Amino acid sequence: MTETNRLEVPFAPAAAPPEEMGEIASRGGRRLQSFALGLSGIVVLLLLWEAVPYLVTMKAGTRLFFTPPSEVAITLWNLFSTGVIWGPLGVSAAGFAVGLAIAIAVGLPLGVLIGRSETLDALCEPFVTAFNATPRLVFLPIVLLWFGLGLWSKVVIVAFGAFFPLLINTHEGIRNTDKLLINVVRSFGAKEWDIIRLVVVPNALPYIITGLRLAIGRAVLGVVVSEFFGSNEGLGVMMVQAASQYKVNIVFAGMIVFMALSLAMTGLLKVLENRLGRWRPQRIGE
Amino acid sequence: MMEDAVSRPSFVQQNRKLLLGGLSVAAFFIAWQAAFLVVPFNSLFITKPSLMFEALWRLTLSGQLFFDLGASAAPFFWGLGAAIVVGVPLGILMGWRSRVGQALDPLLTALYASPLVALAPLVVIFLGVGATGKAFIVFILTVFDFVFNAYAGVRAVDNLLLNVVRSFGGKEKDLYLKVIVPSVIPYIVAGARIGVGRALVGVLIGEFFAASEGVGYGIVKFGNFFALDSMFSYILVVTLIAVLLTQGIRWAERTAFPWRTGQ
Repeated sequence: MTETNRLEVPFAPAAAPPEEMGEIASRGGRRLQSFALGLSGIVVLLLLWEAVPYLVTMKAGTRLFFTPPSEVAITLWNLFSTGVIWGPLGVSAAGFAVGLAIAIAVGLPLGVLIGRSETLDALCEPFVTAFNATPRLVFLPIVLLWFGLGLWSKVVIVAFGAFFPLLINTHEGIRNTDKLLINVVRSFGAKEWDIIRLVVVPNALPYIITGLRLAIGRAVLGVVVSEFFGSNEGLGVMMVQAASQYKVNIVFAGMIVFMALSLAMTGLLKVLENRLGRWRPQRIGE
Repeated sequence: MMEDAVSRPSFVQQNRKLLLGGLSVAAFFIAWQAAFLVVPFNSLFITKPSLMFEALWRLTLSGQLFFDLGASAAPFFWGLGAAIVVGVPLGILMGWRSRVGQALDPLLTALYASPLVALAPLVVIFLGVGATGKAFIVFILTVFDFVFNAYAGVRAVDNLLLNVVRSFGGKEKDLYLKVIVPSVIPYIVAGARIGVGRALVGVLIGEFFAASEGVGYGIVKFGNFFALDSMFSYILVVTLIAVLLTQGIRWAERTAFPWRTGQ
């Protein structure tokens, strides 16, 4: 266990404070309190936002840009009930799915390879460091030049962003495998392929899931950014067009859709993580 | 892992990783340059490393590069500075006063998970295309890195240390200055490492959207003119800066907080 704790992330959630651990009886009450407080935090913000026009008198110009949450909710409802949103949403979702699939298909095997071979690792390291540190956005103009305004430049940006967290986390997980386990399997006559299949990859699974979680965040970001700057359809395009027409409510509605999507995806992943990583409660991340 | 001191490894063995890395970078540029001996070269779509370095040299001499770097650096540092000033105290407060933490955690988590970049068009409308707008985009992209890291840092504070200070008659102020702040600083630096990357994204987005100067503006402008050698040289500069910043903070972390290595 000490071996696995070594790589805990600095911002991993800390264990519950001791005083909370002591009073198991009142734990449910505490959780309820925490939930109620959290909910009220959100509600208070929304109410304040809604109340701003009644509290402050705004100039006509400012009022043009101001949208209370109720109006955003109505806009959201209209977008879905009229079905206007499905077209752009589908375009965005396609870019997201294809890009993420490519990132997984390339990132996972490559992560396993550089995790198993130190030479390959040393050869790839400068590129991984450089491209991971650089905002992918910087390549957008050149990607647009090469792949045009359609689906494929979006796919490239999404895949490029999602690729590195996957690669790095897989690599970390592979390298972190217990040498003893590898030696045992090898003593029983396992080939490299068996070692990868039986020991190394199952061991790296929690890391891979975390990499996937980071990758999803980056992929959503990639969709938004590539649609903002170089695309002709999609949810991001809808938002930029709305912004240029001062339809602030549509911008916020689009953002809420993106927010809901990324929360849903990460929630789904958490379920998967709990199922697969039950035997080893540990997190790793950037 | 420390090697056995008896059999001292040779220079090549010691720096194997570094040498292989340098080798692969050199091979990459040589292959890139050499590819055009075989493939016809179309300067509208691709450039050669030789032309790229030439453009970099030209832009450095003319001062254009430094002008753009300066224009981008101002909002970068203002936004990041504001994020630290707002984010760190808020995170510490949330960690220290558990009710505040419970009240704000879900809201901030939702905001952190959402692609806040999507607000960029609105920011441009409200604050314009100058340094203020860019700095604000940087701020909203990075403030949560500092909030959540300071928050986690406070919760990881050793209760024993707090009790010791209390036992010896320490006041609330002493708790903050002697225990909480020193334990939280490594977390904040870790937050800064992530935040720096996002701050670069913020500056670039601001400059892609609407700007008249800056590195991001330069990249788009050169792209529109099909001046790919200049464009690639700016991309190279951004890459170098990003690597220097993140690796620099990583190095600072290792030097200043050696007990936290392995992250």
